[in-house]
Amino acid sequence: MYNPANSRMIELVHVNRVFQRADGQMVKAVDDVSIVIKEGEFVCLVGPSGCGKSTLLQMVAGLIEPSDGDIAVAGKEISGPGRERGMVFQKDSVFPWMRVIDNVEYGLKCRDVPTAERRDIARTYLERVGLAHVEKAWPRELSGGMLKRVAIATVFASGGSVLLLDEPFGALDYVTRHQLQSVLLDLWNEGGSAARRTVLFVTHDVDEALALADRILVFHSGRKIDDLAVTAERPRFTDSLLLPEMVAIKHTLLAHLGLEKRAAPPKMAAGERTGS
Amino acid sequence: MTVTTRARRDRWISVMVFAALAGIWQILSVVYTAEAQPGEPMIAGWQVLFTKTFLTLSDYWQGGLGVSAVADGAERSYLAALLSILSHSIDTIGRLSLGLALGGAVGLLLGLAVSWSRWTRRLFDWPLQFLRTLPLLAMVPLFQLWFGTYFFGEVLFVAYGIAVIVFAGTVNAVRNVPPIYIDNARSLGASRWTLYRTVILPAIFPAMRSTILLSLGAGWSAVLGAEYLGAQSGLGYIIVYAQQFAYLDRMFLVALLFILYTSISYWAISRLSARLLAWAPPSQRR
Repeated sequence: MYNPANSRMIELVHVNRVFQRADGQMVKAVDDVSIVIKEGEFVCLVGPSGCGKSTLLQMVAGLIEPSDGDIAVAGKEISGPGRERGMVFQKDSVFPWMRVIDNVEYGLKCRDVPTAERRDIARTYLERVGLAHVEKAWPRELSGGMLKRVAIATVFASGGSVLLLDEPFGALDYVTRHQLQSVLLDLWNEGGSAARRTVLFVTHDVDEALALADRILVFHSGRKIDDLAVTAERPRFTDSLLLPEMVAIKHTLLAHLGLEKRAAPPKMAAGERTGS
Repeated sequence: MTVTTRARRDRWISVMVFAALAGIWQILSVVYTAEAQPGEPMIAGWQVLFTKTFLTLSDYWQGGLGVSAVADGAERSYLAALLSILSHSIDTIGRLSLGLALGGAVGLLLGLAVSWSRWTRRLFDWPLQFLRTLPLLAMVPLFQLWFGTYFFGEVLFVAYGIAVIVFAGTVNAVRNVPPIYIDNARSLGASRWTLYRTVILPAIFPAMRSTILLSLGAGWSAVLGAEYLGAQSGLGYIIVYAQQFAYLDRMFLVALLFILYTSISYWAISRLSARLLAWAPPSQRR
């Protein structure tokens, strides 16, 4: 069983984010959210669209600033984007004017890693995501799923200890999505539990969250409304998703999303996580 | 039908159109025989243009290289005419190239500066948008009085004309860079300098391609305009000089040279940029 180190990798304290709409009305996208995420944890943020989960992720990435509140990563308050945090976006973010391998090297290049060394690292990760054969290709020659693999290889290669994924597989077909989920889990798991990076993964897909997460945070109208631990063994196949505890969590999630009328009863799913 | 045979057939159509235009011109020269002045037909046929008219261009040879100028009493010769065309073309093309390089660089840098920071935007955006609206040709006398009529003034004038176009194109292109590339680069740790070098510049290139072709056209007009209005050499100077004596055939011959040069310059630039855009989907490369 995975046993996370007891450090506070990501810490959000009373974070708020207010937007002004075109009609002048102020909208609270993120409303007083406080979260502590441990090192090596795989956390999924789930909620209906417009619930503030993506805004929250972009604040942790440093791409937008909170209106109020503090965000710290590895004990340090963040200001702007940082190399310890890698981001994978929903839309294609791979630079079309660089060949695949140059894309994967980009983060290392920004850190002035010597050419030979960064090429080795990039090759390693391209191989891990199954794209060794297209390292010299232009991104326009790749499919959407392959581009996602490039994006994943890029963040892993650049070596951040925190990975932020904003609905990365949302636009992919069923088969590709599942393939990429296992690519992601394999990379996350490659060095054993001690080497795991901390992952924040935004998704609107309940089954995806159940398949991936150690912990699922549920958002609604900018607020965090639930915090569920998922303790089933990985990798989780169809059968794992049918375990009573998983079914219970799924009922809870569906109820939160307004897709099920009955309130989810199971004790083990609600409230604080039980694993630690 | 394969793509190559279709392309070849299309090329034949272009050649035919070209030949037809030349033929129509020749027919017109036979049918319409009015003269601007005795011995100067309004429409000169090809047999006149490439013999008599070509020879008269040696009038504009200023001497040197062992070939004396007609003004110094020498006979007109094909060699002098050729040297004349070459030297005036070099003057015009030299002014154009330097103006393009200078204006392109300045326009690009200022255009990038507008998005660099709030400070640089305040500094450059408004004054340059204002400069843009000044009519280009109205500025020619000013440039010539400030910087002279031989070389420096003409180059600066062309550079000014190019710079305002490239500036506007750059500002617009930078505005249209998809934010996701910028976010991605920043989250991977790119500094602002790296961001501009590795993301903004390549990302604006497809949009800048049309700006570059546009500014090339404007550059040809600007250099001609500058030469009409006071230069002592160059193809524009020959046209003005010929106009004063109603030498229509000479003007037409120089105009043909222009068509040749502009076509070559467009072709060269689009070949070069197509090569630089190997990464882009074919629709953005044409």
